[in-house]
Amino acid sequence: MQNKRAYVYGGLLLVLIAVPFALSEEPYLLAIINFTIVYAILCLGLNLILGYAGLLSLGHAAFYGIGAYATAILMARHGFGFLPALVISGLLALLMGFVLGLPTRKVRGDYFCLLTIAFGEIFRLVSQAWIDFTGGAMGIVGIPIPNVLGWQITSETDFYLLGMVLLLFTYVTLRMLIASKYGRAFIAIREDELAASVMGINTSSYKILIFSIGCFYAGLAGSYLAVYQTTVTPSNFRLEESCLMIIMVIVGGMGRLEATFAGVALMTIAIEFLRPFAEYRLLLIGAIMILVLLFRPQGVFGDSSFRD
Amino acid sequence: MSGSMFFDVLIVGVMVGAIYTLVTIGYSMVYGMLRLMNFAHGDVYIFGTLLCYTLLTKFQLNPIVAVFAAAVSGGALAALVEFLAYRRLRAAQHRMISMITALGAAYVIQNNSERAWSSQVLPFPSLFPAQPIRVFGQEISATHIVTLVIAVFFIIGFNLFLKHHRLGKAILCVSQDIPTASLMSIPINRIITIVYFMGGVLGVIGGILYSTSYNAISIGMGFRGTIVAFTAAVIGGIGSMSGTLIGGMILGITENLIGVYVSSSYRDSITFLILIIILLYKPTGIMGSVEKDKV
Repeated sequence: MQNKRAYVYGGLLLVLIAVPFALSEEPYLLAIINFTIVYAILCLGLNLILGYAGLLSLGHAAFYGIGAYATAILMARHGFGFLPALVISGLLALLMGFVLGLPTRKVRGDYFCLLTIAFGEIFRLVSQAWIDFTGGAMGIVGIPIPNVLGWQITSETDFYLLGMVLLLFTYVTLRMLIASKYGRAFIAIREDELAASVMGINTSSYKILIFSIGCFYAGLAGSYLAVYQTTVTPSNFRLEESCLMIIMVIVGGMGRLEATFAGVALMTIAIEFLRPFAEYRLLLIGAIMILVLLFRPQGVFGDSSFRD
Repeated sequence: MSGSMFFDVLIVGVMVGAIYTLVTIGYSMVYGMLRLMNFAHGDVYIFGTLLCYTLLTKFQLNPIVAVFAAAVSGGALAALVEFLAYRRLRAAQHRMISMITALGAAYVIQNNSERAWSSQVLPFPSLFPAQPIRVFGQEISATHIVTLVIAVFFIIGFNLFLKHHRLGKAILCVSQDIPTASLMSIPINRIITIVYFMGGVLGVIGGILYSTSYNAISIGMGFRGTIVAFTAAVIGGIGSMSGTLIGGMILGITENLIGVYVSSSYRDSITFLILIIILLYKPTGIMGSVEKDKV
């Protein structure tokens, strides 16, 4: 069994590495895939927050933005390399997540959701208004080409590989986290918060931990976005983005990391196929969301045993 | 900063607060009853307001007829959304599911409105006289006073309806306890439909009052309207009618004071900052009660 599994994973890895070379003539398609990778990283972190801590965060785009602005400012203005900027971006998002997560001790459920909306909006408004620091609505331009240990990342293929490394890092570390004793506590909280607290699990500390970790990955995704786009503007981090991430997680299935890949892929494909019908895009996306969830309320690949 | 200017800003703040209260009532009732974040609320009432705009400008209807028709259509749309997108999911495993279908419904309505009216800011006609009148020795635009009076009339009227009419009492029963209410042979589904309808009607009236006093209407106001309603409902305390009034007023007055005296570009950020502070200080909202977990 163990052997068979190794073959499957090895094969999958080979396919993933082969993708950009097979598509090297199709830069547009590869660009879509690269954005899909960004969303996959964001949504994996968000799924941890939503599916394990049960915290509805509509401010995830702000942490994405914190990572992106941190990398943009460090690299474009202070001459940092990509790797240090990436790490600092992730840690900064983690720190902000920790600060915003602190109120979960007092503020519960939907009120916390509103708190995240408020945080996201404040982030967006400040990034628009604080022109000296963030460049205002024009954003920050001219982010240099990232260099990872001598590897100049310029083409779509390079960015694909870099993104894949980050995505794999995200997935593997999250899997390890969930398999650890912390993960078992997360699952206990997810299944029944009251029972978990009676068993001696400090639920509010764990929730803050989960929230900060989820935000850490958003910071990484933002950092990647900054070097990939070479510009960062406030419009990348609107409330609509946070909503889209939540939609991807829920359509895929909450509390299941693999289901998130399906949700991200499904929504990206839907959005791309609907591009020709640009005038009716929102309408069709809205209709797809309603129909999918009416017939599969637990998400397309969700686990039906997961209860509120 | 003269005293009369402060008074003027305050009156506008109270007017906006009363309008916010109107649009929050429907949101807060639905939320208190079903714990559903109705993301389509703002887009529903902006649809009604846009419809009123067309009836007034294109068809030159009598304002009363136009407002009535728009309010009823807004209410009907709210009820229709509930029937199509939320009802089947009421028993779903997770509350967040119907929140996402609500977001889906918001997208559908937004897109339709955009096709029908474009996403530009449209000039909404003034329905009330604009000449200044003297109140307490201060000159104030009549529009503000008339708008305020109408908004307060609807808020009080709705509260009297809830407290004294049979149907209103039934609504209060359902919002307290759905299973018990259904044992008392209250038709749950019909009551919920009525709540959505009334929330939509009051929302459209609020939307029209807002648009006519600022002479502007745009689709962008829909999502912002939802956030405003959510914020006001939470500040005041979910499901509480007096809380809705307090939340709406706090939001309306501070927004205007900050917009005039501090900075208009930071206005919304400061509004949200106030929200965060209130949530941290009093997590259940000003008039809300603490909910205990049940084993």
